[in-house]
Amino acid sequence: MLDGYLPAKLSEALDMMAECDCIPFAGGTDLMVQHARGSGVRPCFDKTLLFVSALKELKTFDLMGKTLRIGAAVTLSELLENAATPQIFKEILRQMAAAPTRHMATLAGNICNASPAGDTLPYLYAMDAEVILQSRNETRVLPVADFITAPKRTQRKNDELLTGIRIPAAEFNVESYRKLGQRKGMSLTKASFLGLASTANGRIEDIRIALGSVAPHIVRSRKIESKLTGKNIKDIPGILQELQKDYSALIRPIDDARSTAAYRKQVSLRLIRDFLINCMLKKIP
Amino acid sequence: MKIEFTLNGEKKHLDVHAATRLLDVLRGHFGLIGVKEGCGEGECGACMVLINGRAMNSCMIPMGNLEGKNVITPEAFCQSERGRIIEDAFMEAGAVQCGFCTPGFIMATASLLNANPDPDEAQIREALSGNLCRCTGYTAIVRAVRIAAGKGAGAC
Amino acid sequence: MKTGISKAVERTDARKKIRGEAEYIADRHFEEQLYAKTIRSSKAKARILEIRLPEMPADYFAVGRNDVPGLNRMRTVVSDHPIFAEEQVEYIGQPLFLLVGPDREKLCDLADMVNIRYEEEAGVFTLEEAEKQDTVFTDYQYRKGDPAAAFRDAAQIIEEEFRTGYQEHAYLEPQGIAAEYRNGILYVYGSMQCPYYVRNALLETMAIPDKQIRIIQTVTGGAFGGKEEFPSLTACQVAVAAKKTEKPVMMIYDRDEDIRCSTKRHPSLIRCRAALDKNNAVTGLEMDVLLNAGAYNGLSPVVLQRALFSATGVYDIPHLRVRGRNYRTNMTPSGAFRGFGAPQSIFAIEMLMLQIAVRLGEDPLEYKMRHALKQGSQTCTGGKVREEVKLPEIVGKIRKMSAYVKKQKNKKPFSGIGASLFLHGCGFTGRGESDIRGKVILSKDKDSVTLRVSSVEMGQGAETVLRKIVAQSLDIPIEKVNYAQVDTGAVPDSGPTVASRTTMIVGGLLQECAKEMKARWRECDRLEIEKVYQHPSWLHWDDSTFQGDAYPVYSWGANIAEVEVDPISYEISVKKIYAVYDVGVPVDLRTLDGQMQGGIAQGIGWATIELMEGEAGRLKQSNLTDYKVPTSMDTPEMEIAYVNNPYPYGPFGAKCAGELPFVGSPPAVAAAVSDALGRKINYIPLTPESLMESDNED
Ligand SMILES: Cc1cc2nc3c(=O)[nH]c(=O)nc-3n(C[C@H](O)[C@H](O)[C@H](O)COP(=O)(O)OP(=O)(O)OC[C@H]3O[C@@H](n4cnc5c(N)ncnc54)[C@H](O)[C@@H]3O)c2cc1C
Ligand code: FES
Ligand code: FES
Repeated sequence: MLDGYLPAKLSEALDMMAECDCIPFAGGTDLMVQHARGSGVRPCFDKTLLFVSALKELKTFDLMGKTLRIGAAVTLSELLENAATPQIFKEILRQMAAAPTRHMATLAGNICNASPAGDTLPYLYAMDAEVILQSRNETRVLPVADFITAPKRTQRKNDELLTGIRIPAAEFNVESYRKLGQRKGMSLTKASFLGLASTANGRIEDIRIALGSVAPHIVRSRKIESKLTGKNIKDIPGILQELQKDYSALIRPIDDARSTAAYRKQVSLRLIRDFLINCMLKKIP
Repeated sequence: MKIEFTLNGEKKHLDVHAATRLLDVLRGHFGLIGVKEGCGEGECGACMVLINGRAMNSCMIPMGNLEGKNVITPEAFCQSERGRIIEDAFMEAGAVQCGFCTPGFIMATASLLNANPDPDEAQIREALSGNLCRCTGYTAIVRAVRIAAGKGAGAC
Repeated sequence: MKTGISKAVERTDARKKIRGEAEYIADRHFEEQLYAKTIRSSKAKARILEIRLPEMPADYFAVGRNDVPGLNRMRTVVSDHPIFAEEQVEYIGQPLFLLVGPDREKLCDLADMVNIRYEEEAGVFTLEEAEKQDTVFTDYQYRKGDPAAAFRDAAQIIEEEFRTGYQEHAYLEPQGIAAEYRNGILYVYGSMQCPYYVRNALLETMAIPDKQIRIIQTVTGGAFGGKEEFPSLTACQVAVAAKKTEKPVMMIYDRDEDIRCSTKRHPSLIRCRAALDKNNAVTGLEMDVLLNAGAYNGLSPVVLQRALFSATGVYDIPHLRVRGRNYRTNMTPSGAFRGFGAPQSIFAIEMLMLQIAVRLGEDPLEYKMRHALKQGSQTCTGGKVREEVKLPEIVGKIRKMSAYVKKQKNKKPFSGIGASLFLHGCGFTGRGESDIRGKVILSKDKDSVTLRVSSVEMGQGAETVLRKIVAQSLDIPIEKVNYAQVDTGAVPDSGPTVASRTTMIVGGLLQECAKEMKARWRECDRLEIEKVYQHPSWLHWDDSTFQGDAYPVYSWGANIAEVEVDPISYEISVKKIYAVYDVGVPVDLRTLDGQMQGGIAQGIGWATIELMEGEAGRLKQSNLTDYKVPTSMDTPEMEIAYVNNPYPYGPFGAKCAGELPFVGSPPAVAAAVSDALGRKINYIPLTPESLMESDNED
């Protein structure tokens, strides 16, 4: 077995993916931790590492019409530095890890790692982002929300590489993001909340709410969102309890080393309330 | 895997296992003990180096990802003009105690000042948040970065 | 204070560290060196039925208890921890044996193939369980005055219970140690605070005379008590391995191994009862201190002693009944950690005094000050406060610095301000110093001198400070004063680097040497002066009754913390810390500031984010991803000042300083959180989870 392979171009990478059992290796900030064996010891991988982070084809970043297209090898730092990255997304990225990790980590890696604590996921779910999966013979496009099937599981086939992410544009006039970690500096998320809305004349035209780290998957419900769409902001307090109850059924957190299920649930409901009441009410003309 | 990279200004060719950590290569192969293993999981920053001018944790970097990269370690960095200014600033501020974290902080400082020669306190604290120090409470380190920036470490 | 001894000099060890030239133990390499990996118990309490090893390749060895030439126990206060486990294991992570060989990766492979069968037994984990099952290791008590009468005559009795959690030292350099035999002499190198503790442990475990042992401290990347007794254990292990394999053996801990298996700060449960007279003054106090010592007692008895002798904090409480117990549980052993038992008690007494004041509607700081010790007061153990107590000056200064009164008045919701008053007994507890009788040597060679001590530089600045004390006493440049490599073969036993004793005790002895040397400077080119610690004759201590002067003198301080609590998430932001200390005379302001800032930050961590919980013997937070210490973004701005109060028996008037800041910040932060939320705080760490749980609003 080859220990590692550095393809010169994408087609070569896809050939490798087709012909042998490889682990696509981007920034490595998840992989190196997951396979670490201790002080002074080389991490142990049972497959060939296919290093994709230098592939030019995956380093692209552009706007196609209103859709942001991000290559799989673009790092979080590069996203942060790019003027085309929406502000709220930057806010999320800024709170991920710390600079040295962001200089290496990729958005694609965060998606493929498929952790409910992955910090970019609430945003990608809320924006209806899609991933592009390529194999030697085929290209598929899937919504991120479908691509991720369970914690640590995706629909990626063995011979596929994730080559890019597409984020359709949308304008919001209410944006709120909260990441709760164990401390202020670099920490993994114990619960996160993203609320995006656009309102006009005191009415909700579009609203999207996504929560991270409080269920086996990112919590986003179009059904609940549709109860809000078209509503008058003034009427939200009247249905708040019902909405919280709806979300409560979807929020199914766990106890772990970083937090408790009870806290995660309660704080999520508080963040939802804060967004729907405090953030939205400011938008009443 | 055959890897070619630049280490402290010199071209290096190595034939190593692709998953070998840069940290182990620097310490074991090149005897560069300024990079240290504090955690091996990206949490502490003691193993930090500059790669193409940016601070990264060498415990997170497999050699396979290093092809064509330009690596600077604390040892060599401190020989540079900017390195000397930062070193003096750390001395002046009293930013060194046990020293195990220090070379990593030097790398993080260099990386910050590369990108932002005149950072404010919040930006400094943000930029150093990938490095742990258990001795100083960070006050002196933040001050050192301020002093270094004031003396033009970001400009040279 | 910006002049004389207090004026900062350049740290003598710092440039090397910045440039990455300083050699820590992991940076050393010995010819033909082998590595050691520890195989550990995966059960909290069990009998070992069988150990099945994989076939060992050439050059690979298993090293265990049958290889121990002497006593299979680590020597410390209570020598109960086996070097390698015998039939029984008492905690998860307990060392069973070492795998030793040239390649670390191969050792990992071999470790994965080790198979151990256990017969599990029921364990004891929490203090509550331990108390119920009475698994007590040590039970101490003492009293003062007539507590029964104080409670009988009390106008009011207030009862409270306080809890503090585990804390991991999280020194940045993990534990590391190496041993080799050269010419019949056992050399041990490593990251450590107490080379002579290590030597004493090896004497018994290796059963060889002290002439055949040399312990050499390598540059130490932080310790905080975590490298006080623990390296004695690992040193014995690698020494046994070096003897068996006849090769140098190096052992460097992984971070998660270090967190899981090295000592921690003792979790505590402290029950208090206070008797108030009709003037609302606290006249009587009962305090019952329970510490979770973990599976072995080790040096927990002395930790407990300091906890008990700090019971009343800075307060003069005439009638006391103090009891303390160390409990055995099936948890990783607890051990030394900056503050050494005092932080737990000081937290309890500070929160108690705050709560009483709040209940009485009094200003906490004023209420506390009414009870403050003064020069001539009796200490809790019936000793005497000999120094001038400058608390009024300290408090005056900190009030002004922090605009305390104004901020108290203009309080916004969910923001709070809190104060703590505290002290720390300098040097060893009780008879400690007179038992150890630290020795130092100062020798002169033409125009330069060398100081020989066993006190180590571990980040706190000992090297600079001790060199500076000698240099200034001799009136020569600091460059002319060498700090001899700490090597038990070459330096005398000046005691361990603990208990904030290095500057005051060891520095004091060095100053005496230097004074004598100065007088005899022209006598000859070579001169050697040796001094041994003499316990001042006026200090009295009775170890059987815990009566007398537990400490020769105290350092004092006050902290004020400002916090904000997020009303939605209950996350705490410590916004600012003000601190004023009396450490006698600061020996080097920059070094001292560093100690204070670091200690404050570590205390904030313990009080807020550093949650470590046991779960059936397993520590839930066992790496730096789950166990969080403060980063630069979690640490507030700090404003620090000192009051001058020269201690006649300390070098240049210095007292102790290293542990003091740690003692002060946790109660100040907790008091501020209490203020912000308008509720009692009886525990730390104040995680958002715990704060929200006790809030029934939703
Ligand atoms: C110190 C530290 C702090 C962190 N903090 C955060 C945080 O705050 N928030 C957060 O969400 N995460 C955090 N992480 C986790 C990690 O950094 C992120 O998940 C990151 O985005 C992963 O990207 P990567 O490029 O490093 O992934 P890698 O480790 O390279 O890969 C991750 C997974 O994705 C797969 N993969 C990568 N690229 C492709 C591709 N093109 N096609 C198919 N599969 C692919 C890999 O095979 C692997 O399974 C942290 C990690 C560390 C070490
Ligand atoms: S050793 Fe690399 S970040 Fe800690
Ligand atoms: S100086 Fe010791 S960890 Fe920073």
